[in-house]
Amino acid sequence: MEELSAYVNSPVLWFFALGVFGVIIVQTMIYMRAARRAGPQLDFPREDLRASFRSGAVAAIGPSLAIVIVAVALLALFGTPAVLVRIGLVGSAATETASASLASGTMGATLGGEGYTPEVFTVAFFAMSLSGGMWMLATLVLTPLLKHGDVKMRAINPALMAIVPAAALLAAFASLGIAELGKSTGHIIVVVVSALTMAVCLALARALNAAWLREWGLGFSIILGLVVAYFVHSAGLGPPPA
Amino acid sequence: MTTAAQTAQSAYEQYDRTTSRWGRITMALGLLLSWAAPVYLIFFTDLRIAQSDLWTGFLAVGAVFWVFWVLEPLTYFPVLGPAAMYQAFMIGNIANKLLPSAVVAQSAINARPGTKRAELAAVMAICGAATVHIFSLLIFVGILGTWLVSVVPEDIRSVTQIYIFPAIIGAVVVQFAVFVKQHRITVIAVVVAVLVQLVLVPNVAALANYATALVVMSTVVLAWVLRDRSAQPVPHPEDRTEHMDVGG
Repeated sequence: MEELSAYVNSPVLWFFALGVFGVIIVQTMIYMRAARRAGPQLDFPREDLRASFRSGAVAAIGPSLAIVIVAVALLALFGTPAVLVRIGLVGSAATETASASLASGTMGATLGGEGYTPEVFTVAFFAMSLSGGMWMLATLVLTPLLKHGDVKMRAINPALMAIVPAAALLAAFASLGIAELGKSTGHIIVVVVSALTMAVCLALARALNAAWLREWGLGFSIILGLVVAYFVHSAGLGPPPA
Repeated sequence: MTTAAQTAQSAYEQYDRTTSRWGRITMALGLLLSWAAPVYLIFFTDLRIAQSDLWTGFLAVGAVFWVFWVLEPLTYFPVLGPAAMYQAFMIGNIANKLLPSAVVAQSAINARPGTKRAELAAVMAICGAATVHIFSLLIFVGILGTWLVSVVPEDIRSVTQIYIFPAIIGAVVVQFAVFVKQHRITVIAVVVAVLVQLVLVPNVAALANYATALVVMSTVVLAWVLRDRSAQPVPHPEDRTEHMDVGG
């Protein structure tokens, strides 16, 4: 595994990842200056500006820490630079790991398991980055069009829009989840524990009206899933050693 | 038009020009930097990877997510406004972090949605959220997380690597099924997935690489053919108040 970590944590990857962070910091500063300039003429004085920034920052603490937990758990798989950009920023944990799993599958490898070589990581990373970038590309193309009212979503059949995206994503997640069941008894147990933990979190979130449980559900499911994985793997229920 | 209204108008135009121009420049830079990393691994290291492997991998991913590349920017535009679009789709976690932050800020300063004040409050709230997020990622993941991975025993690290995907995907299926609240589609997706992954693939090995693509296509077609035609029309995506993060 030494070999994989040399690639996933390469200094050049760190450089590009920190570059994305730098770009966001610069963007934030430019936006804040623009808002500060225009604010006084738009009934948005300095104290509103500060109050908005502060409440946005405070509201983001919980969700940010929930994302941190998920990101740390993925470090062993993708290395720090890829996790920072793909999981922490642009994408979401569900989409990016699903993408990585799909791409590894086309190489005949299991994400993190048998045959997970630097080459497989690179194909997965390429697929995640290219696909994840498409959201940004679409934003760059569509925002000016939407602003000038050239594109209207209303034109699309609502029944179609309600069914197709939900069906595609549910199918992809269900397919990847069920594929895991075929790998070992340990995998079956971990998938079930993860699913049950999420179900309990969502049920409690509704019963107690605690929205934060919804945000932390994935983090809790991963931690509990991995703890159980450690025991079932030690008990010899995991996949046969490669 | 009164003078005050004119000043306000020109102040807003100035703000709109700055955020549009620099929003686009910074987002394009972020996009290029995020693509540069895999490009470096492919062309500037000793790894030898066939072009066809790269594009096959991308196609497998794109086949599932392409709808969302376009759908999510369309859905969020009315909520976010043009300036915040360039922030949101680079910072990510829009539904579970940025939108709540914006709403909290708007109510903190009593800004009615749809006004210029509300738009500025949302942008400033996203700036605040971005600042918190950037620093918590750098400190807790970049520094502490990297250190943590270097000190945990090898057996724990290898268990994490083998089981992290099953530990995520179980929860994700449940979360998404609960979110979409379409039982009929959920049942169709699970039944098709079981048939393909546990019955078809073990018998037809050649299908393994296309299994998920097959599940996705069959589920979409079945969900459409078997849709509940008597049901009330579902609200248009643009009118929904709840969102869930896919890409953004």
